[in-house]
Amino acid sequence: MGNPGTTDEPELSDIARWSRSNDLCRPFVDLLPVSGVAISVIGTLARRMTVCSSDTVAAQLEGLQFDLGEGPQWEVMKTGHPVLSPDLSLQRTSNWPVFGAAAAGLGVAAIFAFPIAVGAVTVGVVDLYRTTPGVLDGLMVSLARSLADQVATPAVKAAISSAEQDHAPESAGAPTMRREVHQATGMIIAQLQISAPAAFSLLRGHAFASGRSVEDVAADVVARLLDFRQLPN
Amino acid sequence: MGGMSREARLNAAFVMVADTLTADYDVVDLLHTLVRECTEILDAQAGGLMLADGSGQLHVVASTSERADLVEVMQLAAGAGPCVDCFTTGSAVSVPDIQASTEEWPDFRAAALEQGFLSVHATPMRLRGEIIGTMNLFGTSVGTLNRRDAAVAQALADVATIGILQERIAAQSQLVTEQLQRALDSRVLIEQAKGALSHSGALSMEDAFVLLRAHARNNNLSLRVVAEGVANRTLDLIPKLAAAAKPGPVR
Repeated sequence: MGNPGTTDEPELSDIARWSRSNDLCRPFVDLLPVSGVAISVIGTLARRMTVCSSDTVAAQLEGLQFDLGEGPQWEVMKTGHPVLSPDLSLQRTSNWPVFGAAAAGLGVAAIFAFPIAVGAVTVGVVDLYRTTPGVLDGLMVSLARSLADQVATPAVKAAISSAEQDHAPESAGAPTMRREVHQATGMIIAQLQISAPAAFSLLRGHAFASGRSVEDVAADVVARLLDFRQLPN
Repeated sequence: MGGMSREARLNAAFVMVADTLTADYDVVDLLHTLVRECTEILDAQAGGLMLADGSGQLHVVASTSERADLVEVMQLAAGAGPCVDCFTTGSAVSVPDIQASTEEWPDFRAAALEQGFLSVHATPMRLRGEIIGTMNLFGTSVGTLNRRDAAVAQALADVATIGILQERIAAQSQLVTEQLQRALDSRVLIEQAKGALSHSGALSMEDAFVLLRAHARNNNLSLRVVAEGVANRTLDLIPKLAAAAKPGPVR
């Protein structure tokens, strides 16, 4: 696979090239007035794949929503409509109080989330963030929607192909399903002889109560540093 | 419908074809409605409809009579004829006097005349750049459709084309979302099963995976099915592992 040159002035038609080079996030940061972006493909039961994230804050925003089960992403998945929050400081008490405060803690001032749809089904979300407050004007909103449309098929393909690999690399740049979280869930299933949803709830609850990310706690479980049989109920 | 004016009949046809777009509908019903209404409104003797399959091959999918069907099948077999031309070029093809068209399509000409057809008008079914098939109206007298009638045929074909394409996109989308869901589900189950085995058998994640895969292969099961059993605690592979580790005859 050749590495396509990416120094040219970006255009919409370049999306095919980006998709080949696996950097589906790039057109969003290049063409829109935002600081960063993460693209996720989400199935039922919160089974999801982060297809790409442009930087660590974008990745953390994604992780936060996964951990908390709230945030603009969940709203987009539920309604199929974009969620535009040009100033998080005005919105902390609204739909996602915990996430809003945590996002502000990461230095995020504005969030714009757009649905990714295949046919009539919303299959994922593009999360855009900015470190300064301010609205996306109508033109930029249309552009973001159009980019989200174009990214749908390559994002879903990338998600399927990564999920089907038994040994997919899960680095920051590559698609990630947080495999350790599911491995840790499996370990808790065996430790406590409970169902998978119950095990995952315990994992998520423990992370929340100890102020850590689910991925972080999962890593400890997989490394056998944390055994849920030893935890007080 | 006999007493209905042509305009009223035409309006009714548009409503009928457009109606099929809104609710659940059967593509075959839509195509039969389209070709029947067009044939009657435009005073043709018979009509037929061809659609291309995934590889671009045309097939006859609806016709108002056996005679029209025969002519179209013959045309497809020969790979030449006004309807084939219409599909290739994306433009309507009118043959006002088939008897006079001696050169272009000898097989088509012979078949059409044998069935008593003297004229044909082929209308492309297309949306933007995509041509999905043609609608063909046959007459038993010479003469061409006037411009207005040709426009009516095209308009009805356009509405039907939108319906067909919508249905195809919907079917395709459903396939993709199902595939996505399945891929995500399988991966989650496999990772959970690895975790469960890793704990109960004190195995590394890698060894847990090897165990899962070996059990799947030895029992002709998919990895997903084995993983699901382990993750749901309905299948316990650890006793099998212990048995296999014992010396002596083991299966």
